Amino acid sequence: MEIDPIDTEISNVHAPTQPRRRAVRPVDDAHPFDLDAYISSYTGRTAVDRLINITASCPSIAPQALKLAFTHLQRLRDPSLVQIAISAYESVASLPEGQGLPPVGDVVLIDTHWIEETTKKNVAERTKLEVELKTYSNNMIKESIRMGHRDLGDFWRATGDYSTALKHYTKSREFCSTSQHVLDMCLSVLELVIEQRNYAHIPSYIYKAEGALDTAAALATGAAGSNPGAPVQPVSKKPSAEREQVQSKLDFALALSYLGQGNYGKAASSFLRLGPAEQLGDWVGKLVAPGDIAIYGTLCALASLSRSAIKAQLIDNPVFSVYIEQEPYVRDLIQAYMASDFRTTLDLLSRYSTRHYIDIHLGVHVNDITQQIRNTAIVLYFKPFETIRLERMSAAFGWSVEEVEREVVALIQSGQIQGRVDSQNKILKAKKTDHRAELFAHAMKTASDIASTNRKLLLRMRLQQADLVVKGPKSNTRREQAPGPEAMAMAEMS
Amino acid sequence: MSQPSLPSPPQQPALQSDSNVQQPAPGQAPASTHEGNVSLDNVISIITTATSPSQLSSQLKSFAPKDVREVVLASLLPDGQDPLTVLDMQANTLGIIYILSARMHTTGAPNPPLEYVQEFCKSFAPEQARLAPDRVTLVAKGIPLLAEAAGNLKLAIQPLFDLLARYSPSLSHLTTIHPVFLKTCVSAHQFAAALPVLAHPITTIDLSISDLHYNDNLVYHYAGGMVYAALKRWSEAEELFEICVCSPGPSAAALQMEALKKMILVQLIREGKPTPPPKYIHPALPRLLKGTPYSLFVNAYPQQRAQLCSIVENEQQLFATEKTLGLITQALERAPRWSIRKLTATYLTLHLSDIGQAVGIESEDEVQSLILDMIESSEISAQLSADGTVSFSDPPVNFEKADVDRVLAHAQEQGALLAKLEKEMARSKEYLSKVRCFDSPVLRLRIYFLSIILSEPPTELKRFLVCVFSDRWSASML
Repeated sequence: MEIDPIDTEISNVHAPTQPRRRAVRPVDDAHPFDLDAYISSYTGRTAVDRLINITASCPSIAPQALKLAFTHLQRLRDPSLVQIAISAYESVASLPEGQGLPPVGDVVLIDTHWIEETTKKNVAERTKLEVELKTYSNNMIKESIRMGHRDLGDFWRATGDYSTALKHYTKSREFCSTSQHVLDMCLSVLELVIEQRNYAHIPSYIYKAEGALDTAAALATGAAGSNPGAPVQPVSKKPSAEREQVQSKLDFALALSYLGQGNYGKAASSFLRLGPAEQLGDWVGKLVAPGDIAIYGTLCALASLSRSAIKAQLIDNPVFSVYIEQEPYVRDLIQAYMASDFRTTLDLLSRYSTRHYIDIHLGVHVNDITQQIRNTAIVLYFKPFETIRLERMSAAFGWSVEEVEREVVALIQSGQIQGRVDSQNKILKAKKTDHRAELFAHAMKTASDIASTNRKLLLRMRLQQADLVVKGPKSNTRREQAPGPEAMAMAEMS
Repeated sequence: MSQPSLPSPPQQPALQSDSNVQQPAPGQAPASTHEGNVSLDNVISIITTATSPSQLSSQLKSFAPKDVREVVLASLLPDGQDPLTVLDMQANTLGIIYILSARMHTTGAPNPPLEYVQEFCKSFAPEQARLAPDRVTLVAKGIPLLAEAAGNLKLAIQPLFDLLARYSPSLSHLTTIHPVFLKTCVSAHQFAAALPVLAHPITTIDLSISDLHYNDNLVYHYAGGMVYAALKRWSEAEELFEICVCSPGPSAAALQMEALKKMILVQLIREGKPTPPPKYIHPALPRLLKGTPYSLFVNAYPQQRAQLCSIVENEQQLFATEKTLGLITQALERAPRWSIRKLTATYLTLHLSDIGQAVGIESEDEVQSLILDMIESSEISAQLSADGTVSFSDPPVNFEKADVDRVLAHAQEQGALLAKLEKEMARSKEYLSKVRCFDSPVLRLRIYFLSIILSEPPTELKRFLVCVFSDRWSASML
């Protein structure tokens, strides 16, 4: 019964974002998408989140996704997800594209028994944990209080109340006695905020975690050094592996936060620097699949990095190519881009757009990223030409002439292409600049600018020397003088 | 010297009121233990017999308590004669200035005749006048009042101009007359009359010849900006507004805010976009501007015509009360031109209808006439063919040798001026006292080493260090 208000609250949060967030994504031969293969790489809550997302955006596979979501749901302990999944399905069924979908009852059987059972269990566990925490607090055992808060945080997270979970996690920080504890806390919070997709929060916990990691490492080496008799080799080896693992997790979280905030350039370099997938430990599957990392990294790189940077950081990167193995089409995409075969690049992008749109982290950015890739493609294509017919460009990109013109004009206006469009004959011409004339104009302008700046600064200096500076609130008494003359002058001007 | 006959009617009532106020004056004089009898007669005799103007100035400044002095100076002679008729404009300038200023600002005193003031402004002796800058200010402020009383503010412009031109040692000196003159010009709508003064930018501030207040500087440049804006000389207007906006000080004046609003509008009219203000602007000003409709207007300029129009419509009241509606309307009218200018950078050829679409004007004829107008005023270089296609071309650039020479000469002039100023500074007492701190042998050696490390000539470095470390204590940190 305690669960109910929370449950409605969450579905309220989801409801308004859905209609605005995305249009319906098709799944057909032109946009292949293998739901089973996709979801098999995830476990736990993120699988359900992703399935709900798919249910909401792809009507053609919505029943399948809903069914899968329910099978995954049974393994969790958050009954509120049932309602969210059903409402996602209902919302897609109410869309024009979703006509003809079978009603919810035909697709899944709502296991009320399971819901009641789980709710009961949750309430019982919650009471138990809270009582425990209270006892610990009364006894003032620091370590136990920390664990009590941590357990409650875990509990709330599992039942889907992120804000309470975050509250408990952060509270537990006050009772941390070693940096290892701080680190654990930070990682839990990071998992939580990533699940919650609260990207702006991520960096601050990363910095905290890095600080804790450093002190932990320093302590570990210090301990190893102080005891010369101990077997140094295994001791120093183990923490460093652990450390690398934590560092990889932090790197991934950082990259994800850059992506979430739309900073594709930084996101690309962060993703491309990630260590191998094994280092991410339990986060693989729980939060992310290696194939996702390949897609995030590649798309961000194509959208923001220069050709040479892509070659250096992406193609010649053995660690990242392991990720790419997970999604073979990504390799085709990179190859087409590097071979300047932009038509294939853009075709591939649109072919797999469904795969990109339904991703919970990437979805909102796909449009921006695609647009940026298109822009760089056009700029790269036009670079060697002095004049080019827009028809030729349209053939190369597979767009209509009008579309090409629109894109090119936008690029000229934003200054990415130095050229001008002959709109009547549909020709794009590179701009020819007369450097000599430019230089002269620049020199003349600078001369007059400097002269006037000089004059103004001299006056300023004189005013300061004479102490004729604007002072305190006394000036307000004389402000009434100003509007007088101005009134008449402006009447004249208008 | 013409002595305009004094109109008798205003004299009579003035006399009565005078005799009333004059009564307490002699009675009070002994009480203030001042030597001599305080009456206008005596004052006149002091004025006419004084040997040196500076002595006279100090005498006039202190012959009686302030309120008594003003009343006495504003009174008439016992026989009803105007004291001004007795005095000679050239020889007794100082005395006349005292009497005039007192008459202009004492209530109940007879106004001096405007013709007399005009004549006086043409022929007074500036050397004497500069001994009493505060009284000159009073006279300057009184002239517009006189003209207003006479029912025609325009009459004040000529005497003010004469006063200003004769009083200030050069037109680039700022005096208290400057703001009064410009304000009068703006209020009387005589914008062109202000141009001879505005043509000389202010470069010198001399507090000894004029008791300036910072507001004088602000008002002068603000009103100057208004004059130029009214005459549509945008670049000059922008510069004067900028001087007003960027005047130094630890706090910002309301007038500077007004000037900032106008400056930005002028920039929109002139350039189509706002230029970032100089770094030394008071930081509160741009911050305050952010919340106003002006910044909305600037952000939408010039592309979103519909939005601009709606801003103007919604905020009309505000713009009208702040007296910027004129500039706003002009900026709005020019918005399509800036959009077209932008198009010339993107396109080589474009159809009229496309231009209309891009700019937000429905009718093709309107676009055509706009483009023709822009071509005529050489804002763009383009060709209009019969089928409605506009082909843009790069504007031809040609520089004459004479232009370059002119710019060079100007730069050299500036350079010479700066060199002169630098020498002046190097001679100044403050600077020398700072330099002395750096003359200990140890410091000299350190500066020498520093100069080798930084590969800067030691003299330059020293000058820089003097500016950075202003006293001996901080110099010792070297």
